[in-house]
Order: sequence, then C-alpha cells, then structure tokens
Amino acid sequence: MTRTSKFPTARPAPPRRAQATVPARPTGSGEPYGQPGLPLDLEKLLAARLHAVEVRPYLASALFALHVVEDRSVPTMAVDPHWRCYVSPGFVARTPVEELAGVWVHEVSHLLRDHHGRGEQYAKEHGKNGPGERLRRNIAADFEINDDIYGDGLPRPAGAVLPSMLRLPDGMLMEEYLRTTSLSGLTPDLAWLDCGSGADGQDRPWELGPDGAHGLSRQQRDAVRFRVAEGIKGRPGDAPEGWRRWADEAFHPPQPWRQLLGAAVRSAAGAPGAGEDHSYRRPSRRAAAVPGVLLPSLRRRPPRVCVVIDTSGSVSDAELGGALLEVAAISRAVGGRRDLVSVISCDAAAGIAVPLCRAENLELIGGGGTDLRSGFTRALRSRPRPDVIVALTDGQTPWPAQPPPCRTVVGLFPRPASAVNEDNPDYTPDHPPHWARVVTIS
Amino acid sequence: MISSALPSTSVLTTGTSADASGTDPQLVLADDLLALLRTTTTETRPDEQLEALALAVAADLPVLLWGEPGIGKTAALTQLAASLDLPLTTVIASVHEPTDFSGLPIVGDDPATQGVPMAPPQWAVDLVRAGRGLLFLDELSTATPAVQAALLRVVLERRVGALQLPPGVRIVAAANPRASAADGWELSPPLANRFVHLYWVHDRDTVVRGLGGVWPRARLPRLVPERLPEAVAYARRAVCGFLQARPTLIHRLPSTETRRGGAWPSPRSWEAALTLLAFGTAASVSREVLASLVRGAVGDGPGLELLAHLDRMDLPDPESLLADPASAELPMRGDLRQATLEAVVAAVGARPQRERWEAGWMVLVRALETGAADLLVAPARVLASLRRDDWEVPESVERLAGVIDLARRADRSVLRATGAAGAARTAGVGR
Repeated sequence: MTRTSKFPTARPAPPRRAQATVPARPTGSGEPYGQPGLPLDLEKLLAARLHAVEVRPYLASALFALHVVEDRSVPTMAVDPHWRCYVSPGFVARTPVEELAGVWVHEVSHLLRDHHGRGEQYAKEHGKNGPGERLRRNIAADFEINDDIYGDGLPRPAGAVLPSMLRLPDGMLMEEYLRTTSLSGLTPDLAWLDCGSGADGQDRPWELGPDGAHGLSRQQRDAVRFRVAEGIKGRPGDAPEGWRRWADEAFHPPQPWRQLLGAAVRSAAGAPGAGEDHSYRRPSRRAAAVPGVLLPSLRRRPPRVCVVIDTSGSVSDAELGGALLEVAAISRAVGGRRDLVSVISCDAAAGIAVPLCRAENLELIGGGGTDLRSGFTRALRSRPRPDVIVALTDGQTPWPAQPPPCRTVVGLFPRPASAVNEDNPDYTPDHPPHWARVVTIS
Repeated sequence: MISSALPSTSVLTTGTSADASGTDPQLVLADDLLALLRTTTTETRPDEQLEALALAVAADLPVLLWGEPGIGKTAALTQLAASLDLPLTTVIASVHEPTDFSGLPIVGDDPATQGVPMAPPQWAVDLVRAGRGLLFLDELSTATPAVQAALLRVVLERRVGALQLPPGVRIVAAANPRASAADGWELSPPLANRFVHLYWVHDRDTVVRGLGGVWPRARLPRLVPERLPEAVAYARRAVCGFLQARPTLIHRLPSTETRRGGAWPSPRSWEAALTLLAFGTAASVSREVLASLVRGAVGDGPGLELLAHLDRMDLPDPESLLADPASAELPMRGDLRQATLEAVVAAVGARPQRERWEAGWMVLVRALETGAADLLVAPARVLASLRRDDWEVPESVERLAGVIDLARRADRSVLRATGAAGAARTAGVGR
C-alpha cells in the first residue's frame, strides 16, 4: 500500500508561508520609524518567541496567546490590553534574535502583571493624565519588569530602563516607583519609549481597539493569566522569586492589613459568647407585646481585648506603635472602652497587663528573645478574663500547644525567610497555629 | 417602560389650583416636579453585570451584590423588579433582630398542648400573600452575627419563622465590601456559601445615561427550548468531569484572611455553579457573564479553573482531527492551538499506529498552513520521537522543514545568549 492511496486528499495547495499576522493596517500613519516597505521578518520574530519559550517555559501559553500585528507606526514592539502585539518591521530587522526574545518576555510581562489596569487605577486615584504621565507610568512599569526578568538565557535588550539609572532600589512595584520619584531625570532621552496601552492603559492611534480582530476578551485574558500563575505555582522551582510572588498575588491581591486586622478583631469580639449574647438579666423590649413569655434581650457586653506585644529586638518600635494604635481604634469601634484594652509586653518573660488608658506613654519593656507563651499565660490569668487576645509579633517564637479559651488574632510582621538564628542555623520558627486568625502586617 | 411609581396624588394637568383639602399649591407643584423627575425609561443595552444578575435571579439562586455605598445597587434592583414585574420587598437586615427572621413567639390559649407558634413579620406575610416577589436583604454585612445566623434559613430554606416563602420569591442581598464599611461584620462562611457573589461597579456610560432618564433594561435571559436537555448535559459533563480531575476542590473552606466572607467551593456552591452553567448555556450568554457567575458561586480560583476546563472541553477532539486531518479546523488563538496539537500528539502516543502517526503529521502540516510556525516545534519533536524503525517518514514532513530551521535558529540564539551572559555581565550591557 502506498502513502498516496492512504491519503487521497493529501495534496492540497503548495505550502504557503506561515501567516500569523493580519495584513498591515491600511492607515498609513507617517511611518516615522524604520524603512518604508521593509517586510516583517516573521521567521526571526517567531524564532525569538521560541527562544523565550525555551528559557521561560512557564510563560509559554502567555507568549503563544499573543497575536502579532505588523505596524510601521510603532517605535519598537508594543502591546494592547487585548493581547495583541504590535511589531515594527524595522525594529525586528535591526535587533538580534536573542534580544528580541527579551522584548517578547518584557511585553508579555506588561500584560501578565496587568499594568494597564493598574495604570488606569493609579491615574484615577491620583487624577493624573496626560502624555507626560503616560510616559512616567510606562517607565515605572518597565522598572518593575526589567529588574528581575533578564539574565539566565535572556539578555537584556539595549536601551532597557532600570531603576538603578535613578538610583532607585530594585524589586519595587510600579505604584511604588511612581510614588517615590518624579522620574523626570530620565524623560528627555526616553520620549520614544512606548510599550503601548498594555503598559499604561492609554489608547494609541495604531491600536485595533476592543472590537478589532483577534483580541482576547476579559475572561480569556484572565484564563491565560490564571494558567500561567498556576503553572508557576505548580512547579515553583523553575521560576524566580519575582514571578512566584506575582503568581501568588495575581488573583488575590494583598489587602490592606488595617482592614483585615479590623475585621479579624471585630469578628472575634463579636462572635457569640464574647461581645454580645442573649441574656435574661433584663427582659426584651419586645416582651410587652407577648404577655406571658419571657424573652431574652440581646445585650452587648463590651469586649475585653488583651494585646500581647512581642518586644523582642527583632520588631521595630514604629511597627509596634502603628499596630497598637490600630488595635485600640478597632476595639473602640466595636464598643469597647479604652480601659478594657490592656497591653502586655512580652519578650522571654511577660510583663504585667497595663490598661491602655493609663498607657498614654506606654513604655514597651523588653529586648532579647521571645517566648509568647508566657504572654498568653499572663493574659489568661488577668481578671476579668479577656474576650480576645491580639498578639503582635514577628512570629519568631514558640506558640502555646493548646488553643487558649478565647479568640485569638495574630498580627504578624513578615520577616524574610532567610532570617535564621545564627546560634542555631537549623532553627525554623513555627507557623502561627491554625486556631488563630493570622493577619500579615506589612 | 415607566419604572418608578408615580405619586398617586399628582396629576400633571391640575396646575396650580388649590384643592379642597387645603394643600398648598406649591406643594402640589413640587409633587408634579418630582413625578417628572422620577419618570424614567429604559432601553435595551448590553450590560454584563445586569445580565449576570438577571440570569442568577432566573435560576432562582440567592444573589449577593457587593458594592460601594451609593453605587446604584438598590436602583438596579428596582429596575430589575420593575422589568420582571415582581413586587420588591426591601428588608434592611442590619436594623432587625434575629427574631424578625426566625419568628416571634406568640402565646396561644394552651401553650402546653398547642405549642408556641413563631409568628412571621408582616413583610413575610405580604410576600406569601402575593405569591411572588423579589426579597431584597439590604446591608447584609452590617447585620450582627446573630442576625446572620437567623438569615441562614431565610436564604436557603426560604422559611421565616413558621412561614414558608412561596417558590415564586427570589432573594437578592446587598453588602458593602469590608474596605468601605468601617463598622461592618464579615459574612460568616455558611451564609457566604449560600450566595452567588456579584461585584457591582458603576459604569460611567450607564450612570450618565441613567441620570439623563434612560436606564438599561434588565431582562430575563431568553432560554431556547430546544437547547434545554443539551444545556443540562453540558453543565453536568463539565462540572463532574472537572471535579473528578480536581477532587480537592469539592470542599475547601476559606483559609486565608483575605478570602473570608466571599464565595468558596462546597457541594452546595458547585450545585449552584452547575445550575448557572446550564442556564447560561440554554440562554447562550457570553463567556464573560458566565465567568462572573461561576466565580461568584465557587470563588475565583476554582471558578477560573472550571472555566479553563470549559476552554479545554471546547477544543477540537484529537481523535476526530486524526480521522480527517486534511480538513482539520484548529483554533486561531496560539495557546489553544498549541494545546490542541499537543493533545493530538498525545493521542498518537497513547495508541501508536502507523496510520495515526502519519495522520498526526498531516495535522501539523495543516497547522503550518493556517498559523504561526513556532507553535509546531514542541509537538513536532514529540511526534518525531514516536517513530518506529519500519515507519517511513511521510512526504508531507518535508513541508515542516521551515519549522526545523526555526527551531535551530532559536536554539542557536539560546546558545549565544547563555554563552554571552557571563561576558555581558562584566561589560555592563544595557547602559
């Protein structure tokens, strides 16, 4: 049996060139960049994408989801929020393949990190819009990307902006870069920099818009981002720290700790048996309507909150002061009185419980190592017993083996995992126990 | 079309004449002006969040709208009730006591033998008398935990005290997110699990058009009768297939502080997701609407995973592609296309026969003719490795030569980059 008999229809038209692009847009917009008429070297561009997939396999589905659009009015390469990638043929012609691979990863990072949404949000919150602002947002987004995606088989393209150019530290978020500096020192020679609306949320003349061909809908974009994030979380060894952090937070952005701490303390103080309960000590005001029935009334007993503070050397005064004020404000909000909030400072041994009303200039005594267990014991011994214990600590402490007989909220000051005990390098602090509600304070 | 009720006393033509009851003519005029202001019309306009709300209400699942105060949650519900012609009953949960939802004890003649019945409040009696309606529980997040506990039965079993709410009653609740409600309580996980959570944001155009007098019209989704059995089968296949693959997602209590008070997966909320999927399929709503509903029922993570599973279900079946490779229809999107090609190669690898192997090459050639070449590199490598010694390389593979060139070019580039990395670092590349 011959092959041809098996596939009678196996001889279609002669092979065409691979075509991933839609035809160049008819609107000729000046063509300020690159030579006019230069064809797009699609093969080079796709080889660069393969290179990127090879060295960053966890970004593969995001890279493949990008749709290439040839456009001569784009300075280099740019993306829009609908996951189209606009490419200047001239830029492809003059850039080596390995640098193009870096540009691919750079552009897809804008989309994965939702820079357009965050940029719009920032503009809305700060009331800033305009060409200069667009450039600032683009640069700040580039800082966030460029400080951690290159290296390891992915050379940094020439002309990539870095935080170090403004003597800024690496590893910050776009919003932080926008807040910290004017970024104005860079702008004159970077006015050409343009990663498209995918980087800052402002439409460009060359973009096809939400209704154009081959755009991804919001749900599809979420699906791609989700798949990439799950891939990174599934094999955390392959991805660097920055990408793993992104994967953890992509769909669960961290919330402000004040609100979380407030909600945790409120619900601990308001849970049945603590702050409020039915009581027969006074008849319900509704009892008059049903003679002969004794209805319990809902009585509020102001919750007693005891704050156990880790005063070991590893927690800074500023951190503690902020958190303590927050707890006091929250307990007032749930109906607690100031004299019902007491504070115990605790390092290796616990101090005495000081009511907050007498602690205007509370002096936190301590230093050295921590054992919060003594603080818990002391808090539970105080009379009347607290309804809620709030422990403010950096977590470098042993925890009570048994859950205490009242609600527990742990305000945790995060410490980098590398903070090891130098006396005992094998020592790793326990996680806060599961019976406590843990709020990370950062 | 006319949404809000006109004040019954107001007649636009009466003008200024003071009537017999001695009402000030200016007050009558004021009423007229108010009546004019409150006369709004609706128009048909695509509005995803309204569509999602209407679909969940149609599916008879309790909905919880999260939104900042003053964003128009109540207005949207008023519109919905008017367009569905359902009487709207609003109950502000936070100003009630638990007994308002669990019933007030009434002492009869002989409590020892007859018991003490739990009398329902008037709004519940009115709802039962009407037989149908939209029960709107407002300010849910500021209700105390005891009230929330009493609401559990209302929301799930539709019982208020001894009274059973009729099946025609739909339940919608509203709450302010924790970030904006300084004195709010968080929703207890059991109550949160009973709702489909929808996040309500204001759309600039909708607000501007609405203040101009034209609101978007909420309509029940149009269910296509022929599609009903197919929709149920599809939804069951999707959810069951997914949960078989990810059994850990069947039940997962919210563990971290950020996820409390929101949707989380449990058999109950999966059932809600299945219902929504069937309704969405039968009504052919967009993926966006379906996504917000499914994520609102089982939570963001499990919801997104289910949607990704739906995407994979929608991919072409590898066996049918292998059966007729010449006319294979491959997805246009690069990542989906690559997933399809990988599935085809995996299918060949699962049952390696010469015919299937050759058909696999045909599919790859077909993919080269219709899309980007770099997607083919990985599947082609795997397919080539499946070759047995006595299998001849089909002619069609020659057409994939360009792909091999592309792969070589990328490999060379990777080599250059890794080789040059050390040198570049010392030279300080990139200014």
